[in-house]
Amino acid sequence: MREVVIIGVGQSDFGKFPTISIENLGAQAVMEAIDDATISPKDIQVSYASRLYDAMITSQNVLRKVGISGIEMTNVENACCGGASAVRSLWKDIAYGVYDIGIAIGLESMTTSPIAGKLIPPAKGDLDGQMGMTMPSYFANIGRRIMECQNATIEDFAQVSVKNHRHGSLNPRAQYQKELTIEKVVNSRMIADPITLLQCCPNTDGASAVIMCSKIMARKYTTLPVTVAGSVLLSADYFFKKKELTTFEVQKRAVKAAYEMAGIGPEDIDVIELHDAFACEEIVHYEDLGLCDAGDGIELLRSGATALGGKIPVNPSGGLLSLGHPLSASGVRVICEVTQQLRGKAGKRQVNKAKVGLTQMLGGMVSGLEAGACGIHILKI
Amino acid sequence: MREQTPIKIGLVKEVNGELKFIGSRCTKCGQTYFPSEIRCLNCGFETLQEVSLSPEGKLYSYSKVEMPCAHFKPPYAVGFVDMPEGVRIFGQLDIKNEKPFKIGMKMKIYLDVLWNEDGKDVMGYRFSPL
Repeated sequence: MREVVIIGVGQSDFGKFPTISIENLGAQAVMEAIDDATISPKDIQVSYASRLYDAMITSQNVLRKVGISGIEMTNVENACCGGASAVRSLWKDIAYGVYDIGIAIGLESMTTSPIAGKLIPPAKGDLDGQMGMTMPSYFANIGRRIMECQNATIEDFAQVSVKNHRHGSLNPRAQYQKELTIEKVVNSRMIADPITLLQCCPNTDGASAVIMCSKIMARKYTTLPVTVAGSVLLSADYFFKKKELTTFEVQKRAVKAAYEMAGIGPEDIDVIELHDAFACEEIVHYEDLGLCDAGDGIELLRSGATALGGKIPVNPSGGLLSLGHPLSASGVRVICEVTQQLRGKAGKRQVNKAKVGLTQMLGGMVSGLEAGACGIHILKI
Repeated sequence: MREQTPIKIGLVKEVNGELKFIGSRCTKCGQTYFPSEIRCLNCGFETLQEVSLSPEGKLYSYSKVEMPCAHFKPPYAVGFVDMPEGVRIFGQLDIKNEKPFKIGMKMKIYLDVLWNEDGKDVMGYRFSPL
């Protein structure tokens, strides 16, 4: 197996752009990644693009805009984990020597999708989905359990939102670049008790791209390669095997495998970007990723450890809560963010001396399973 | 009375003159399923026996929801109820009697109209605090 490195990252602005076509949104991220990698578009040998809504051949459609055609292109769907799945597929191709250099793209235009302004609809005929299980109502039930088991309050969940929006106010690419207060979050419109509007990520348009190559090839292009030290993608197990709603077995398995692969533990991580679609969700991930013991997530949040300047900053980009959540783009965007953090190029939101970072994505919901998929990547410089 | 259609076939049946919700249990490892499965998803064994659910369970978690979803207009409540047979069921919670929800409280499972579609009542389970 070969060592795989990241040599280029790119991101479009994140926001609501109903007049920008999907291929132009994607091309914005791809061109930025190509320029960042200082390669020519013709150097790209393989592409994986992820998009959930709502068309075919996304790779081909985007890459034709930047002069890339005729190579192997695959298009990937894995709910909110789609972007991470595209990155993982590219990693495998390079690690196992199928190709030397390629691109992974995550892309979503929520405002032009068939579900614009709506909730993600349940799969047709899915029992729990038909019964009213939506992402907000599911995570509201999880939040309720955290309140029950850890004496958490709605103000605690609001604190996640306040923290991530403070980070987002430092990120020129975020959809929302303003700070919030606990009162504002708590008093915003109730969505699904205890989740209020400002504890939810917005629906967003955006694209991200990452260019990876073998370590040997990277010498040609950069003196600052970021190594992908761990790459894991797993699907979730049956819901009946899950004892508590406040943990995802799939991500405990995935992160354990990723730590083993990278030969490190949670204590070695300097920065984390994760799936904070809902504020209370971040608490679950603290525990599952091993930042603290199970049941201590709220305490970790209250300690300030996960804020910029703390011991283990989580979502210094502002997270899904501030950047918005273009479903398939987020999983690639977190890789871009951590790469910039490790390069020391994250501007005002820079985590001091970050050398090792972790990205997590969790996606999908269907009756009988605890989730769809979880993707974990560990990056090192 | 409007025509009725089940949300899923095989959820209920009459047992000794009483309407029961029906699941299945693996005769080898004992894992119980609701709705029924035809083979055990836990151990792979192919012989499952029918099992009637108790009429009551305990509330595991809940949320009162203030936004619409595919079939329900706010306000409505959803939650998870743990049944004595060892299954955790997600469903709609009755908010008609305005009794505040509390984790651990007893909940009754009953057959009810969930929504109306194409002139038919879609029938399924719902939970009500006791």
